[in-house]
Amino acid sequence: MSGTLDPSAPQRSYLWQDGTLRSWLLTRDHKRIALLYLGSITAFFALGSVGAALVRLQLLEPTGTILSDATYNRMFTMHGVVMVWLFLVPSIPVTLGNFLVPLMLGARDLAFPRLNLLSWYLFVASGLLVVYGLFRGGLETGWTFYTPLSSEYTEGRVLPVVLGVFLNGFSSIATGVNFIVSIHQLRAPGMGWYRLPLMLWALYATSVIFVLATPVLGITLLLLAFEHLFRVGVFDPSLGGDPLLFQQLFWFYSHPAVYIMILPGMGVVSEIVSTFCHKPVFGYRFVAWSSVSIAAIGFVVWGHHMFVAGTSLYSAIVFSMFSFFVSVPSAIKVFNWLGTMHGGSIRLDAPMLYAMGFIGLFTVGGLTGLFLASLAADVHLTQTYFVVAHFHYIMVGGMVSAYFGGLHYWWPKITGRMYPETWGRLAAGLIFFGFNLTFLPQFILGFEGMPRRYATYPAQFQVLNVLSSAGAGILAVAYALPLVYFTWSLFRGARAPDNPWRATGLEWRTASPPPVENFAETPVVTTYAYDYAELDGRAGPPGTAVGGPHV
Amino acid sequence: MARIAVCWGMLVLLLAAELAAARLGSGIGVGVLAVLMVLVIVLGFMQILRAPPLAIIFALGGLFWLTILLALGSLDSFTRTTVPVHAAALPGPTAE
Amino acid sequence: MSDGSALDHHSPYETPLHRDETAVAGMWLFLASEALLFGGLFLVCLIYSHTRAGGWAEGVRHTNLSIGAANTLILITSSAVYTMAVEAGKRGDNRRVVRAGLGAAVLGLTFLALKGVEWGQEFRENLFPGPHFALHGPDTGGAQLFYSFYFLATFLHGMHMVVGIGLILWICRKARHRAFSAAWNTPVDIVGLYWSFVDLVWMLLFPLLYLIGRA
Repeated sequence: MSGTLDPSAPQRSYLWQDGTLRSWLLTRDHKRIALLYLGSITAFFALGSVGAALVRLQLLEPTGTILSDATYNRMFTMHGVVMVWLFLVPSIPVTLGNFLVPLMLGARDLAFPRLNLLSWYLFVASGLLVVYGLFRGGLETGWTFYTPLSSEYTEGRVLPVVLGVFLNGFSSIATGVNFIVSIHQLRAPGMGWYRLPLMLWALYATSVIFVLATPVLGITLLLLAFEHLFRVGVFDPSLGGDPLLFQQLFWFYSHPAVYIMILPGMGVVSEIVSTFCHKPVFGYRFVAWSSVSIAAIGFVVWGHHMFVAGTSLYSAIVFSMFSFFVSVPSAIKVFNWLGTMHGGSIRLDAPMLYAMGFIGLFTVGGLTGLFLASLAADVHLTQTYFVVAHFHYIMVGGMVSAYFGGLHYWWPKITGRMYPETWGRLAAGLIFFGFNLTFLPQFILGFEGMPRRYATYPAQFQVLNVLSSAGAGILAVAYALPLVYFTWSLFRGARAPDNPWRATGLEWRTASPPPVENFAETPVVTTYAYDYAELDGRAGPPGTAVGGPHV
Repeated sequence: MARIAVCWGMLVLLLAAELAAARLGSGIGVGVLAVLMVLVIVLGFMQILRAPPLAIIFALGGLFWLTILLALGSLDSFTRTTVPVHAAALPGPTAE
Repeated sequence: MSDGSALDHHSPYETPLHRDETAVAGMWLFLASEALLFGGLFLVCLIYSHTRAGGWAEGVRHTNLSIGAANTLILITSSAVYTMAVEAGKRGDNRRVVRAGLGAAVLGLTFLALKGVEWGQEFRENLFPGPHFALHGPDTGGAQLFYSFYFLATFLHGMHMVVGIGLILWICRKARHRAFSAAWNTPVDIVGLYWSFVDLVWMLLFPLLYLIGRA
């Protein structure tokens, strides 16, 4: 089954250790919890996609095709709420992160295994509450729940959705606490901070946001629920309250949350780019610290969501300036990935295709972000499809590509089976094409002034909208493909060797799939994270590894 | 034991001082005394200095981010000029 | 449920000390997160007490200072008493853990009871914000905003008290079964951190709700 299988000490993979349902539902094994999460967020991804599909169908014609205006509002709210909190925020951290953090550290489990299981149950409970609210009554506020719409004027089910998102926050906090403490405390002997894989730096930075931003979302939603439930004033302008205060508090969480939705993807891409170029990451320390600085600076830019909301000019200038700053570490990452690829022996397997897609799409999304950070341009572009296209380039083009790339990359490790490579490449190409067809027209639409969140639009925008909807159809097919061939590979896929990609990193030194205790014996780390020379020396004929570590 | 008793005594004294400061109408005095009480709890009861170094890092991190929230969160309200937030009645746009 | 100082073979830790230090650090990180939870409330208070100063101060003047001060004293004492349980836990003295723990829990319940009395008064005096709100000063809106803050803050703090008391009782139960020893008493320690944090939050809420703007 695997190369390291030692007949004297039979190891059993975590997958088949004990097959009962009970053993899965009460497991404390981080690898099994990762799979529980994988199943749940896949379901929510499908649900959120249905919302998107309905929205795009509606916009095929200027007067709308299938939905009433009210239903349209409910659908884009469902799409936003489900995709943000039940898919994107948890996505990479809770699946790949849960699976990989202990393996990459060389540890047997996360620091608090029971807390980890609890976080999954909280997540499921929150998901059910949100779905209950969205289907029994629906909600029309958009995912941002702005007051006073959400507190006074809404006809939808604010409470279950808001309480669901509140619970979801505690699930995130539990995951964040677990990751931070594990990375501090459970590193294998010899694993210094500058020997950590960059994925762990990214997840550490993400966890800081989980732990320190999410509680503010919690209290914001509590204030909103309090105001809505008892009809008392908290943000109510008729009492002299300040509705913008809600937005301040909301974006104190939700802007850093945007970085929750991209930093883990950057970590995945760093791993993939290095492996498939067979070269150490260029400028390791810069990439590592850029994750931390994105997380830190990401906390002080939230006001750029409110430039036209009536905030003071001083506050707008300060937030605009910081928003420009945050693009610096993001750019450092992009250039360092390109530097890594330069002169490498690049293999274009499916994970690498996704990673390259990520780099391109993230760059477009990031650069258009600078338009929106500029005060003058933002006045024109805000609340238009330009914004929609911008953040979809980051979150879907970036994060979802990275998520799929990571799933392909670690699939052999997670399941012990190879996915079919041809289909993998086809899906990656299709996603890239479909994505651009969907969202590139939206940049133009927004630039020409089509506002977001309307069920109808002037007739001159129809051509671009039809293109966009066609792209969404292609995307739907492209996202369904991996679901099919991943399931197929579980039963029919070729057996995976321990290290199919010739990658560095401790997770590749154990069996595929790993045994319950992860490593037969605790690994000792003697080199920096991407030492291909050492790997090739260990694994047989010298490969094409070039260069030593960069700074 | 002695440490706990001393800390308790300090907290009671600080509470008394806080009440006195409130009677004198010194909001700043009350604030300073409240911060002192927090320090007594953190140092005396929670014994942060004897906790693992990580605990101190986490506590300072929390404090730092709390400062960001309060400072940048209030920046807009305290400097807003377009819409009066001080007016007693319904806020409306000021006539230029 | 792994109690005792032994490590089971799936535990990710090398030594018991390693495990216990990790648990304490984890609790501090969680408390940092909790601080930001209350931080959102403090921001609301900071802004409204500034922009609606008149109404806000009027609200402060209507809170019940004697109950508030008494509760502050009770909470200080409770925190001190529980810290004795932590000290006893370090020596492995389970009987004293139970006694001090129960003392702290009773004081905590007293706090909640007094808080309940206070809330009852306020409801009777129509101080809960809404159309029948009692204060009709020049800035009744500001006073209503204050009482929204007051009720939510005391509710949230009260919920933390309930959780804290539950945790303390759990510790007492474990200690009755002689679960703790000089080698292993981390849960006593960690619950102490949480209980002191709840105390600490009240040390900030008390001046904001009862004192600043009163005179």
